[in-house]
Amino acid sequence: MKRFGRGGAALVVLLLLWSLGPMLWQLYTSLRTPEALLGDGAGPGGGWTLANYVQVLHGAPPFWRYLLNSTVVGAISTLLTLLLAIPCAYALSRRGGLLRLVVSGGLLAAAVFPYVLLFLALLQVARQFGLANNLLALCLPYAGLSLPLAVLLLQAAFAELPVELEENALLEGFTLMQRLRWILLPLMGPAVVSTGLLVFLFSWNEFPIALTWLSRSELLTLAPAMARIAGSSVFTVPYGAFAAATVLGSLPLLALLLLFQRQIVAGLTQGAIKG
Amino acid sequence: MRLRALLLMAPALLLLLAVFAWPMLEYAWLSLHAQSVFTGLEPVPVGLANWQRLLGDGRFWQDAGQTLRFAGVSVGLELVLGLGIALLLHQNWRGRGVVRSLSLLPWALPNTVMALGWRWIFDDPNGPINALLGGLGLATLPFLASPQLAWIATVVADVWKTTPFVALLLLAGLQMIPADLYDAFALEGGTPWQALRRITLPLLRPYIFIVLLFRLAQALGVFDLIAVLTGGGPASSTESLAVYAYLNAMRFLDFGYSATVMLGMFLLLLAGSALLLLLPRGQEVRS
Repeated sequence: MKRFGRGGAALVVLLLLWSLGPMLWQLYTSLRTPEALLGDGAGPGGGWTLANYVQVLHGAPPFWRYLLNSTVVGAISTLLTLLLAIPCAYALSRRGGLLRLVVSGGLLAAAVFPYVLLFLALLQVARQFGLANNLLALCLPYAGLSLPLAVLLLQAAFAELPVELEENALLEGFTLMQRLRWILLPLMGPAVVSTGLLVFLFSWNEFPIALTWLSRSELLTLAPAMARIAGSSVFTVPYGAFAAATVLGSLPLLALLLLFQRQIVAGLTQGAIKG
Repeated sequence: MRLRALLLMAPALLLLLAVFAWPMLEYAWLSLHAQSVFTGLEPVPVGLANWQRLLGDGRFWQDAGQTLRFAGVSVGLELVLGLGIALLLHQNWRGRGVVRSLSLLPWALPNTVMALGWRWIFDDPNGPINALLGGLGLATLPFLASPQLAWIATVVADVWKTTPFVALLLLAGLQMIPADLYDAFALEGGTPWQALRRITLPLLRPYIFIVLLFRLAQALGVFDLIAVLTGGGPASSTESLAVYAYLNAMRFLDFGYSATVMLGMFLLLLAGSALLLLLPRGQEVRS
């Protein structure tokens, strides 16, 4: 397994080109003038501009508004999901038998269910209860859709903790809340963080439900905002403003991934092993 | 004790029922009703008319075929490429941690963001691919305007975005295989290629199965990518079932039929998963 010569190095370069090339191309495009993109002879060194970013950031609403909306929805959905998933995962991990089998099976089926199928019924619920155009209400379906994976990941983490730990705390007279808060959860830090990150990523990126629940442009989250930009004629060729929007929309996630890549990778692979 | 367990699970289970089970019941009810502009958007019972229409709806079956083609080709390519990348990242070399993080970047981006990016990359004639073709003196290709090319463009964008996810899960599987197995196999004169076929692939099977399950379900429900990259066009040649259901509800305002399309898609998925679950067992009998 030690042989890793030039062929291997070439493959690594190829992999990086394939993964990063399209993103670097967006970055390059976002910094070019329309004339330079259409090949109308800007000399070498010419044709660079920040105008695309200025245009996107001074739109109505400005682009940072979408990022803010997505961040708020992502953060609240994550908190709500964890709040509901932790007690459920705890109870599930402490039970055996039929109940656990049925609930786990149902959770796995729900986790692989293509949730886009649910958008119409959820939209009707939103209309009936006046939840459309409400960022906080949007967190309810997001939490519901994230719960299957979150409960499965967390209950696997609970199941790994030694039972003696909890039995001792029980003898000391700890209540259930105290045991969860002071004994069990502090030991589950990594699992809670990686589960939370996966939920945040999902909520940040979610498209069909945001698309149908939100219509006021100052409330749009990032995904439907990008689609609206794609559909508007203002930004047809050239693509400088498109590209500036994709770069700005990617940056927060790239930062998140680089900061927490270990936890995200752990969350994903845990899901693979125990799911 | 059992009561307390149920109490702890109740809030989560109630939300799950509201989000997953309630919509399916709602669709079952809606699919037996006409609710469209012709009925003044009021539900009118029509029996099985929506289902009869579905069976004879050429566009539904065409989209079903296109969705299957998209999912099959995308997931197949992702599995092969992902396995290659996982094997590469499993070797011992300096800097592989950094490369692993960098190659995961496409997976983390929102679908709509990179779908917009790919639209520019495939642009005719100003996108980079066509600029390159033009620079070489070749004819440019209308990637997004030709039915033969547009679905390939959607596959490329999907493979680019999801292969890192597949590679990561398979890498987790590779790390579970004890290295001694390979050493012993090499001592007995096995070549690396034989080791891949006789050790790696069989032991990786549970991971491949999980990847297939998650990725096929996601790819068969594809919506974001196609809605932004091609909008289902040209001439609905890249339209997926999810996009068709969306159009029925939000553009044609035909809610009864849209619910029927979604239930129809769900039933097709159910049949597909039943087939998938039978598949690995058949292989085990043979080996």
